[in-house]
Amino acid sequence: MVETREKETNFVSAVIYIHNSAAALREFLTAVREVLGENFAHGEIICVDDASQDESREVIRAVAKKGDGIGVSLLSMSHYHGVEAAMNAGVDLSIGDFVFEFDSALLDFPPELIMTVYRRSLDGYDIVNAAPQGKNRLSSGLFYWLFDKFSHVSYHLTTERFRILSRRVINRVASMNKAIPYRKAVYAGCGFPMDNIFYEARPGHTAAEDTEENSYRQRLAVDAMLLFTDVGAKISAYMTGLMMMVAVLTAVYALITYVERSPVAGWTSTTLFLSFAFFCLFGLLTLIAKYLQLIVRLVFQRQHYSFIGIEKLTK
Amino acid sequence: MTYEADKIVIGAGLYGFYAALFAARRGEKVIVLECDEAPFKRATYINQARVHQGYHYPRSLSTALKSAGYFARFNADFAFCLRRDFQKIYATSSRYSWSNSEQFKHFCAAANIPCQEVPTGEFFQADKCDGAFLTREYTYDAMVLRDYYVEKLKEEGERVQINYGVKITVMERAAALYRLHTADGQIYAAPFVLNATYAGTNQLLAMLDFAPFKIKYELCEIILCRPTGKLPEYGITVMDGPFFSIMPFGQTPYHSLTAVAFTPHNVSYDALPTFDCQQGLASFCSPKHLSNCNDCPHKPVTAFPYMAQLARQYLLPTYGFDYQASLFSMKPILMSSEIDDSRPTVIRVYSKNPTFVGVLSGKINTVYDLDEVLANG
Repeated sequence: MVETREKETNFVSAVIYIHNSAAALREFLTAVREVLGENFAHGEIICVDDASQDESREVIRAVAKKGDGIGVSLLSMSHYHGVEAAMNAGVDLSIGDFVFEFDSALLDFPPELIMTVYRRSLDGYDIVNAAPQGKNRLSSGLFYWLFDKFSHVSYHLTTERFRILSRRVINRVASMNKAIPYRKAVYAGCGFPMDNIFYEARPGHTAAEDTEENSYRQRLAVDAMLLFTDVGAKISAYMTGLMMMVAVLTAVYALITYVERSPVAGWTSTTLFLSFAFFCLFGLLTLIAKYLQLIVRLVFQRQHYSFIGIEKLTK
Repeated sequence: MTYEADKIVIGAGLYGFYAALFAARRGEKVIVLECDEAPFKRATYINQARVHQGYHYPRSLSTALKSAGYFARFNADFAFCLRRDFQKIYATSSRYSWSNSEQFKHFCAAANIPCQEVPTGEFFQADKCDGAFLTREYTYDAMVLRDYYVEKLKEEGERVQINYGVKITVMERAAALYRLHTADGQIYAAPFVLNATYAGTNQLLAMLDFAPFKIKYELCEIILCRPTGKLPEYGITVMDGPFFSIMPFGQTPYHSLTAVAFTPHNVSYDALPTFDCQQGLASFCSPKHLSNCNDCPHKPVTAFPYMAQLARQYLLPTYGFDYQASLFSMKPILMSSEIDDSRPTVIRVYSKNPTFVGVLSGKINTVYDLDEVLANG
């Protein structure tokens, strides 16, 4: 039976982050292209290749060459940037009224979910996330718990596979921030309505371990914590409190010593106090240094990524 | 029947007609051979109609200087076909541009072409461009230019013979002459042949086993739009990378819209233009003989939705436009120009006595480069 359906007239862009994902890429890219081609009159797919060392680029070219359908572009990053900067590069290039961000080429969701997410955004949500249910790693779980506890973002963050953004979110975020170091937090905090759609992850689809990516995620987690939560400020506050308490106790101890024994013994306590105070001070300085490093990066680094080239693989 | 002349010019575009008039005015007999049924049906007509002053080449000062040098001369000689009464804005994109606003300013100063900075917010959405500049650039009307040349060539009387709908099948060298055989059984002979066929250049060179130009072929779409709001008074080009240009199209009421990422529909890297769309069109178009893409039953679906989407990402809504029509044409691009994006005018003399000259240029105002070879050839 031939089904005739009106295609969506909104221009859609899909930005796909790719880093050493050749194995699952063909299935993923084909599925995304099919769904978008069936449902949208006009669109584009931007594959952001983050310096993959496997044959990801060849797979993209092969899929792009196959027949008609939504046009595919390949944006090749010069060196490993990590998902945040690479995604920003891809979103900057996109021209869609709605933009899908696929954080990985992992098809653990049914392809129809893409349209479910799109339709939900038409209901009035500028940001709609698709999140796998109960599949969080322990470390991610801990991160999001801490993040929610210490950040002022009104939405709960969670592990997400992909999301859709309206153009006004992208414009708002671009005008609010000079840099977007952690997209999820910026999106969640940009003031537009956001919604999550949870799905049962299909078995047999897990991301391959990648040491480069793991260490990047750890750095990102620390950066995000410091930038978007007040956990750093809280720690320094506790430390200051502790220092003051110790100072008070030391003072009391010094007083008691003064009353009960000969004052010469005061040398010992003074030395102890000084060494402890300096220890804490150094702790604070480390934090300040970390903050400064982030501020410097955000304020002075005008180009947030560098790229080799943009290829139109199909029209 | 064999026709003889002092010069044979292949291709009735601007370069061909310019050469024909140049030679005729020197008292030579010229034959112009054109495969279409009328002149100026391809590249001379189907392009952005820009009279370059060099702004387009911020990474190739040599191309810019050459364009700027001929700009004044072209404007003086061809004032009748120009449109000058619009403001031309060049802007550098904040993202993905190979040059930023400072570099563009510096470049304009080096090329000695006018460039006055204006606020980006007057034309563009927030943060999309890091610099906008009021420049001086004109656009020419190919149809007016065509009528001028048809008239002037007619005034030369017997000296100029123009044959349309002519398909060259064989070219051969015979002593001090080149002999061109055509599909209708005629023979044209002359001691001087100028190949001014642009996209067809390599196809003709192949007939004489001359080395082809190293070019890639792009099947390009120029979109004609009706400008609305404030746009009719402006031409706007966003540089320097995968962006767009929307500017008056000669003296017509339309603007041409082009975008680096969407204007080329298909690309061929073969020495002779080989495209999938040629399949099933054997007699009409093949790698050996390119037909007119604009008349082709296989011409692509317009990329207007994509170009418009891109342009509207940048322009304020008051600079509006509506789709009017599409023009398709084949564009050869010299492969050496990929890095610096230069557009050299290449004139090659393949043989002397008899003389065979090939010209390849993507710009209208460097037509004067032909003078030397025409005078001495």
